[in-house]
Amino acid sequence: MIVPTYAVVALAGLMTFGFALLGAALWRPRVQTLEVPDSWKQYHFGFATYALIFLAFDMEMIFMYPWAVVFAGIGVKAFLDMLVFIALLGGGIAYAWGMGGLKWE
Amino acid sequence: MGIVWASIATLGVLLAGGLLTWWLEPRLLKAFGSTEPGPAAPLDIRKNPRPSQADPLTYYGAPIIALFGVVWATVCLPWGPALIPADVNIGLFYFIVVVDFVVLAVALGGWGGNTPGSVEACYRIVAQLAAYVVPLGLAIIGPIMMARSLSTVHIVEAQRDAHLWYIAPQLPGFVLYLVTGLMQVYRAPFLEPFAACIDRGVLGACGGWPGVLWRLALAGLLFVVAAMGAVLFLGGYAGPWLPGWLWMLIKTLAVMVLMLWLGHRVRLRGTADMLALAWKFLIPVGLANVLLVGILILLGVGQGPFPLVGSAP
Repeated sequence: MIVPTYAVVALAGLMTFGFALLGAALWRPRVQTLEVPDSWKQYHFGFATYALIFLAFDMEMIFMYPWAVVFAGIGVKAFLDMLVFIALLGGGIAYAWGMGGLKWE
Repeated sequence: MGIVWASIATLGVLLAGGLLTWWLEPRLLKAFGSTEPGPAAPLDIRKNPRPSQADPLTYYGAPIIALFGVVWATVCLPWGPALIPADVNIGLFYFIVVVDFVVLAVALGGWGGNTPGSVEACYRIVAQLAAYVVPLGLAIIGPIMMARSLSTVHIVEAQRDAHLWYIAPQLPGFVLYLVTGLMQVYRAPFLEPFAACIDRGVLGACGGWPGVLWRLALAGLLFVVAAMGAVLFLGGYAGPWLPGWLWMLIKTLAVMVLMLWLGHRVRLRGTADMLALAWKFLIPVGLANVLLVGILILLGVGQGPFPLVGSAP
């Protein structure tokens, strides 16, 4: 079951790659060079704290997926579990917000 | 379907959907009175710019990576009960992972393009990722809870068996999907990485065949995200009289038109605004939506008598 599924994924990827290379080989319009300065410089980006909080929350969101599949079969017990989990997550956001983590710096 | 035919069908669907979106989107934007096309900006076929400082591997490889993302997302879109390239059993989880290849591609291509605008686009798109992923994931959890499965086919069948489109019990979830979906497809009002002020980011640094591939990937992205919205909330291919694939196409286009129309009702947002909106409003709403859907399920909403083949333990 799993091999045919991901064989389709792999083959579709390979065919995309081939199609992209084929197009590049067949159609080559004349290149105009765009004179630009080297832009690999140090940038100041304002979302460093967001990025850290994002890492934590993204993992926690993924934990909810297996729970969501079995939720309806288990019922109230699973709901109470998730209530605690969401209360903790909500507390986490409130804490980060209160400490000034949700700010563009 | 055999593996080879399924792969060809995947590419065919993406090509058809992407080209349809490429053709349709500028006309829709014109009808909505928009002046800012964003990633739907037309390709000037006479120009083929190449930045003098570009890194060839990432500059030419990035549009192919973006296409991988949308092609792989197309694999799990159902067009009928058996009309699906591959019914990936972790469907939705797989979908949210592979679609984000587009972000990786724009980040790589922007950095590799090495023009001021494209490097700026690299930073902007990563910040946008940090804004939309969590609320989008929370919006998708609602239908998974009601259907008890991650498979896209099971989610459509669950809605058909319960005689209930999930848009009805989960309207907040649907609105959340539309808003975060707009962030994911980089259409107005969230088109910061492709804004005119940075010369459209990677699109401004590309022309010729890479430019075609970028536009196909970005049009295909809008198509697959709208199609997944139709699967999750509008019952996918299920419907009376017409064949399944036609229903799916109609619903996909309906979601697409709704997204673009909603996006042009509000002013453009900057990256900082977007992050604040997501973390201070959309994520709390998403968490509340998960609880709301949980309560509805405990009350028996959307729980039709359907078989659970290979989903719940």
